[in-house]
Amino acid sequence: MGIISVENTDRLYWLGRYSERVYTTIRLFAASYDSMIDLYLNSYEDFCKNLDIPNIYTSGENFIERYCFDEQDPNSIYSNLIRAYDNCVTLREEIGSETVSYIQLAMYAMNRAKVSQSPLIELQKVMDNLLAFWGIADDNIDSENVRNIIKIGKRVERLDLYARLHMPQTEMRREVDRLAGRIPRTCLKYKKENLEMLKTLVESPEINYYEVVLKVEDLLED
Amino acid sequence: MENKDMDLYRHTDTVNELLARYGVKFGIYKNNEFHEQLFPFDAIPRVIESDEFAYLEKGLKQRVTALNLFIKDIYGDKKIIRDKVVPEEFVYASSGYLAQCEGVMPPKDVFTHIAGIDLVQGKNREWYILEDNLRVPSGASYPMIARELCRRSSPKTFQQNHIADNRNYATLLRKTMDYVNTGGHTVILTPGRYNAAYFEHSYLAEQTGAHLVTGNELIVENDHLYFIDYSGKKERVGAVYRRISDEYLDPMNFNEESLIGIPHIYDIYRKGNVALLNSPGNGVADDKGIYYFVPKMVKYYLDEEPILHNAPTYLPFYEPDMKYVLENFDQLVLKDVAEAGGYGVVFGSKMTAKQKENFITLLKKEPRRFIAQEVIDFLDIDIMEGDQRVPRKADLRAFVLMGEEPMVWKSGLTRFSRNPDSFIVNSSQGGGFKDTWVLSQ
Repeated sequence: MGIISVENTDRLYWLGRYSERVYTTIRLFAASYDSMIDLYLNSYEDFCKNLDIPNIYTSGENFIERYCFDEQDPNSIYSNLIRAYDNCVTLREEIGSETVSYIQLAMYAMNRAKVSQSPLIELQKVMDNLLAFWGIADDNIDSENVRNIIKIGKRVERLDLYARLHMPQTEMRREVDRLAGRIPRTCLKYKKENLEMLKTLVESPEINYYEVVLKVEDLLED
Repeated sequence: MENKDMDLYRHTDTVNELLARYGVKFGIYKNNEFHEQLFPFDAIPRVIESDEFAYLEKGLKQRVTALNLFIKDIYGDKKIIRDKVVPEEFVYASSGYLAQCEGVMPPKDVFTHIAGIDLVQGKNREWYILEDNLRVPSGASYPMIARELCRRSSPKTFQQNHIADNRNYATLLRKTMDYVNTGGHTVILTPGRYNAAYFEHSYLAEQTGAHLVTGNELIVENDHLYFIDYSGKKERVGAVYRRISDEYLDPMNFNEESLIGIPHIYDIYRKGNVALLNSPGNGVADDKGIYYFVPKMVKYYLDEEPILHNAPTYLPFYEPDMKYVLENFDQLVLKDVAEAGGYGVVFGSKMTAKQKENFITLLKKEPRRFIAQEVIDFLDIDIMEGDQRVPRKADLRAFVLMGEEPMVWKSGLTRFSRNPDSFIVNSSQGGGFKDTWVLSQ
């Protein structure tokens, strides 16, 4: 393993988390948006409740605009992408300009989506760039440690989001397996007992999702 | 080379799009808010013929060698002051002179590791030095990455022209850093994400394989500098290419309010246990007032005639020069020696009567603060504006790296003014940049 500072370890981890948060929330938002078209106009309320974000929105329309694109709303997809970008640009020498460029492209796509008449179509391009980012990260980053730290961020975030959204057991199991397989391959210090507990929790016929969220959030040592 | 239809010219937009993709930006503060801006690129290069560059190379090496000897002398024997070649008031009144550097000699006596020398070419084809930047000159990363993207956009252009490859800057820089490294890792020290040149810091780190660090990732212990890794292990650092101003480098030795520096780093530098690139205190030699004396330094230290010339410069500090400046005010450009980045530059011809009166009062009160120069009629360089080629003022920042021998990078940063009526080319004031081609034959 090459030398890497505590600060960069932290940035890599959060780059993984925020980029995954943007990717997954766009996917979930798209599904929620779809249901708002003709079924359930206030479905955004459930969305906020599940993700544990304050429902500060006044209507479905207001939710679409602000949750996606409001820079001032710390929970918006836009704000999360800015956080991914802020971490990413400080990691050029660790992950390479080519890898950084896909987060930059996602940022440009997000800005286009903000002013687009069809934001969902443009948001698809944000997701495309994030998928390309994961691909190039896998392909271009020489250090296995660096790659794995980003991926741990991604796995932790996905498991956290899936638990909050009460995803089916098969998906929960898959995410815990992926996390458990990856985390010992990094320099990150983690609580083994919490990882074991997560494995147990997702095997239960009735998953205690709240407990899963707590264990995921408390998985890494400070 | 004056091929008006060169394939590359059609790719200005493509190259700019690629520059945006790779985050090639600079930071700027407006109303106390940080903004990132793209640095507009123009695909028509500045072209320097091989023999012309050989002349520049020789002159630049000579100049930077003399400047290095000057700094060594100023913080050492001070012979040039004793011999009355440079008046002491110009040295000690310079904001770049640091008393803390007295008697401190850097590893291998190199002070000016990376020098950015600003030149312009007059309409008479003569090159003039406008400024020596010896503290933390920036800008090399832009033509480095632009060349990469130009080659990608128009391979044909580079097949058909014999252009020296400028993508070796990182190799030259690494060689420079390794030459003075006192043992251990090499790092690039950045003030952080919100510095104007952060892209450059991160790109040079990527390209040289150095670690990009901020002050809180380094610590001085037992007279050595260490980088602390994620496990708390300390790794020794032997060379720091610092992109932080002298005053913020070490709160124990310089500005005590600095939060971005490393306490005691200057103490161990003084003991020869770490190399700092560039050396603290270099500002004494790139002061706009000291600039006037550089040709004299060349003669004094090297016993040679200066190859490259300054723009004709006057020091109002001297009575005959003050007289000349007052008599020819409208033909001169006046520069505040304490300012940089294109700020503090005023043209006599563009002042109102009232402004002129106020300025002259100030000039008489603080003559040491200003220099006056003849306005050089720059050779214009074309840029593309839409489909049109239009002439604009442009300068050239040449980079000289001092390892065992001085090395001149076969390229440089050509900056141009986008405003047809302006001589100011700085990126912070809306300028753009071009690639600089040095022909290899």
